[in-house]
Amino acid sequence: MNNRLKILRAERSWTQANLAECLGVTRQTINAIEKGKYDPSLPLAFKIAALFGVPIEAIFSPDGE
Amino acid sequence: MAQDENTSQFQRGINKTTRSLFIFTSLWVLSTALLTFGPQFWWHFDRLSTALAAIVNVVAGIVMIRAFFNHLQSMDELQQRTHLEAMALTLGVTMIFTVFYGSFPTAQILETTYPSVILVVMSLTYITAVISLWLKRTRE
Repeated sequence: MNNRLKILRAERSWTQANLAECLGVTRQTINAIEKGKYDPSLPLAFKIAALFGVPIEAIFSPDGE
Repeated sequence: MAQDENTSQFQRGINKTTRSLFIFTSLWVLSTALLTFGPQFWWHFDRLSTALAAIVNVVAGIVMIRAFFNHLQSMDELQQRTHLEAMALTLGVTMIFTVFYGSFPTAQILETTYPSVILVVMSLTYITAVISLWLKRTRE
């Protein structure tokens, strides 16, 4: 799965630690998601979308899209 | 960003369960030592004392498992996944090693086998699996 998490985070000048704290996860989890090494669960993906105020499909897309 | 509340909630949760896990694991280790050495060195094989020590050991073990479960639930989803995958790997390795090691006396490779050897293999596998799986996903 591809994601735009790093771009959205950078647009808001948030650090990985800031984002991790808001989502109640570790900074390493944010890093793993950004690098595509880990796909978040649906609840966490919705939480991320709500935090950025965008639809979930604006952040996550299937591979090859 | 309203993060302080969430931060402290997540961190507080994991710190609390880590502390509990440490305390209850220590108690289980102590109760195991009591059950192992108590009959010989403290109460000279008195059956009632041994039975009490055995009950304490089992109860401490159950409480430790519960503390570990709570600790697992307080982790974030990547940590949980890492630990669950490590447990699956540990289960497989332990099963294979137990059969392999258990066949030693029959095959006359060793005269006797020791359950503690299996525990050591289990612990080392789990620790190695957690570290390698975690690093594989989070290395920057």
